Order: sequence, then C-alpha cells, then structure tokens
Amino acid sequence: MKKWWLLFMVLGFVACSEDSDDQASPQEFTGITLQFQNQIEGENVVLNSETYMNSEETYEIETLRYIISNIVLIAENGEEFAYPQAESYFVVNEENEASKSITLENIPIQNYEAIRFGLGVDQSNYPLNGVNNFVPTAEENNMLWSWSAGYIFLRFEGNYTSATETDRLFAYHIGSHGQALDNYKEVTLDFQNTLALGSSNSIEITSDVSKIFEAEFSLSLEDIDDIQVDPQYSPQVMANFSQSFSTQQ
Amino acid sequence: MRLSFFLLLSLWLVSCSEEDADSGYEAIVENDTLSIEIPDYFPEVTYNFEANPPTEKGFELGKKLFYDGKLSSDGVVSCGFCHIQDFSFTHHTHIVSHGVNGALGTRNAQPLQNMIFMNEFTWDGAAESLDAQPIIPITAEVEMNESFSNIIDKLQADEEYPQLFAEAFENGEVNTDNMLKAISQFLVMMVSADSKYDKILKNEGSQFTDEEEAGKVLFDQKCATCHAGVLFTDQSYRNNGLPIDPEYDDEGRSRVTGLQADKYKFKVPSLRNIQITYPYMHDGRFQTLAQVLDHYDSGMVVTENLDPVFQQNENLGISLTEDEKQKIIAFLETLTDDNFLLDDRFAEF
Repeated sequence: MKKWWLLFMVLGFVACSEDSDDQASPQEFTGITLQFQNQIEGENVVLNSETYMNSEETYEIETLRYIISNIVLIAENGEEFAYPQAESYFVVNEENEASKSITLENIPIQNYEAIRFGLGVDQSNYPLNGVNNFVPTAEENNMLWSWSAGYIFLRFEGNYTSATETDRLFAYHIGSHGQALDNYKEVTLDFQNTLALGSSNSIEITSDVSKIFEAEFSLSLEDIDDIQVDPQYSPQVMANFSQSFSTQQ
Repeated sequence: MRLSFFLLLSLWLVSCSEEDADSGYEAIVENDTLSIEIPDYFPEVTYNFEANPPTEKGFELGKKLFYDGKLSSDGVVSCGFCHIQDFSFTHHTHIVSHGVNGALGTRNAQPLQNMIFMNEFTWDGAAESLDAQPIIPITAEVEMNESFSNIIDKLQADEEYPQLFAEAFENGEVNTDNMLKAISQFLVMMVSADSKYDKILKNEGSQFTDEEEAGKVLFDQKCATCHAGVLFTDQSYRNNGLPIDPEYDDEGRSRVTGLQADKYKFKVPSLRNIQITYPYMHDGRFQTLAQVLDHYDSGMVVTENLDPVFQQNENLGISLTEDEKQKIIAFLETLTDDNFLLDDRFAEF
C-alpha cells in the first residue's frame, strides 16, 4: 500500500518591501498608460445612438467589453518585460472611460519597440497566478457566465437591421470552453516609433471594432446573431477581433 | 508497503509586500502542511498540490467558508447546505439543488469525494479546475446568488476572517484567489477510500458475501465499461438513454462545448458511496438503485447521441434479471465508506 505524504516542513515566509535596498532604485522604473480607443471608420464608437454598417446590415452597439491580459513590453534589445501576471487582467468597457486607460506601474525605463497582450484569459494558466483575483472585476462587468467557471473574453451586443430583419438584437459572448474550444488570443503590435519610456509614458491602442464582422472572416448578423458557445463561429469572432488592434506609437 | 514522498521542503519563499516598508520583514508563520493517505491502487492525482498545498490553517479556513452562509446573498445557503457530509456531501432526498429564497436548480447536487483525481467538475464539466468550480454555485442565481465583490467585502469586515486568511496564506490577503484556494484545501482532503470494497483490496480481513461477490462479477461484466476503475467512473460524458424531461430539457455537455455531438451527455458519476447519495441521475429522477437498474434494463429510450455501448444487442440497454439487480446492488453497497461519512475533520459541528 502506497501512502502519499505531503510533507511540509515549517514554512518560513520572508517578505520584503519593493523599495528595500536590495531592489533596483525607483528612478529606473516608471508608470505607463495604455489608452484604448474603440473606433469605427476612424471615429470613437458611440453606444446606443450611432448607426454603423457592415457589408450587409446596419447596427447599433449597446455593449462592448473585452478582457486584456498578460501584457508584455518588448525592448529594443529583444528583452521582454512581462507585467506581473496576477496584476495583468483588465476589462476594457466602452461605457466606462476610466476602464479604457490601463495604468501599469514599475515598468523598467528603456526603449521599447513592441507590445504584446492577451485577449481573454489564457486557460493554460488557469487558475494559477492569481487569475481568480480577477473574478470580482469580471463579475462587475458581467464577464462571467453563471453556469460555467470561465470568463467572457468579449461581450459585444446591440441591435441590427438587415434586408429581412428590423431591430433585432445581436449578442456575441466569446470565451474558452474546455481544451477543445480555446479562444484566447495574443496580439503583438510593433511600434512605428521606438517608445523611449521616461519621455513618453502613454501608448494609444485602437480597436477598429468593425473588424469583428469583417477581417479574416466575414460574419453576417443575419446569418447568425447570437454567438456564444459555438465551436464554429466563436473562433472566427475572436480571430477577427484580434486583428482589430493597431497603434500609432 | 511502499511510501512515496511528495516532499515540498522547507521553502523559504521571498515575497514582496508593500505593507512592511518599515520593518522589511514580517513575522514567520507556522502552518503545517497536511498529509493525505491514498491507497496504491488509486489513480494518479490530477490536482496541482504544488500550486496550492493544503495546510492546517488553510483547511480550517476552507471548512469555515464551506459552511458559512455569508457566501450567499441571503446569508443562509452555504456550500454545506446542499453538500451534506452524512450523504457523501449530497443534498439528501432533494431532486435538484435548492438555492436562496427557495429557488430551485436544475440538477442534482453531486457528492464531494475524491476530487483530487477528477479532470473536470460538475455534471457537464463546466469547471476545468477544482479551484474555479465554486464560482458556479456561488454566483448562480438559483444557487447562492452572490457576487465575489460582496463576499470579499463581507469577509474583510468580519471579526475573524482577516486573521484566518493572514494565518493561512503567505500574502495574508482576503481575496478571491485565497478564498478559493482555502475551499480547495478543505475539499482536497475528502478522499473516500475506506469502504468494505477497499478493505478487501487492502487485505484487511474483510470478505465479500457470496451475493456481493456475484454482484461484483456482474458489475464488471455489465457496468464497468463506463463505471471503470476504482473510482467507478471513466470520467467520460455519455448519454445513458434517459427520456428527456421537458421541464428542464437539459442538453448536458453540449452547453459547455457547443457541440451537437455532446447533446444530452452527462459525466459518468463515481459510484463510491452511491447507496446513500440518492436521488440519482443528473436531475435526481430516480429514488432508488433498483429504479436506476430498471432504467438500464428496460427504461432506456433512443435520443440524440445515445451511447453506442447501450446499443450492442437487439434490446436497448443492459439486460438484467431481478436476481442480478439485487446482486449488483449488494456489491454497490460495499462502496459505502462510513469512516469518510463520519470523519470529524469534515463535520460542520
């Protein structure tokens, strides 16, 4: 008979403060703001009133929220600065201006030439690295399902009018569902101009929301206006959405 | 006797905490890690003990949380409300789980046992990790109907919890991650491996009766394809031919995968402690094991994705005589683990 013992000695935990002497001096670090803008045809999205067109329908947007995670800054020398994963989960909510400014602290000052971030939650990390501390933020933004222990990566809702339908609701709620349906995406944006952190501490990132319907895949609301747990269409929505991002930096 | 050691040596973990800018150090906390006894014929554990090793303080905190109505919107419905130890942590006699304000769920509360060997959780596998599973019942409107923001506020304002979190966790924070880790530390200790069946496997002097022995032979022939191994489940999802209940029209696994091929499939449940975890099936439609076996013998209907295992003969299902049913039930009753059901460590009071 085998016995498994999880033997633990007394664990001693020593904690140190971030600005204690053995750490690098604070002036080598700075904060940075990622400024997200959701646009269509170069104009900021206006919820509930502005009417937009995709190839086949007109639509209004009521809700646009998405999860940004695993932010990494890539330096000129190729070194990657990964923002601490447990602190690296955010909801960008079009209704909430403050949510569109993501402030990161303690970034090493150097020249960066690209940024990489995740859309959604990488389930290979799940539930490690403190991702569960993101639960309250996610639920406040309605980015959790009540029947599934997962996150809604993209919540995109509104109404549309097509040749045959008038004022119908649409809803895209996209997340990962088990190993077979992994919709987590990473986006890498190369800077056109090197970001010399210290002199410039803001990166504007734009999502061209219309690409959700039209990028790698062409999606028509008339064909399908409710995409949630859908192994065929949800990966297409996320593929399109991941191609919507750009930066002028 | 073979001893295998899972040694996590005295780790000196260095962390950075903003609270001790002055002292630079905080007090050393002693918190013994708990050991789990697992028979050698059990499968490998799936739970990541390295990421969340159960400790004495974490277990006690998890137990308090498990039995605390603060985790629900009405302050009454705790995890333990539907998961009652005497019945292997099921909601005894309740067909579907009950929630706040008398709300009714749509599925039968599953037993809590041997979770460290499971790949996915809930009847449809909607939780891939034990640490995340409680998110479902806590936030579901028809169950505990509470938000994590509220729970964390309540726990932070509580007289006892901040101290208990501080003792249980390195960073000492009252947060969702620690809360879910503590609940897991309580749950991972729930290993049921001391039934009569186990005592026989362990050569501890017990013996099957003739009826139980005959039942085991029948079980191995007729049931063990799905209820495989010592956990009595292959952890697959299958449609076992239950007539669709229009009240729920529960599509099962397809809700999780979105696949038509998973419609009406539910996880094959473990049969450990099955004698006392009635009612049975995902919607609690059968009150007795005899009814369950009647279903497999003669009650099955062909619905979408009915498992091929039930369609091998001319007759649908698994043909069983009354005598065979009785013997199988006698065998199943040897899977009841009284030492687990009465284990003081898990008891609410």
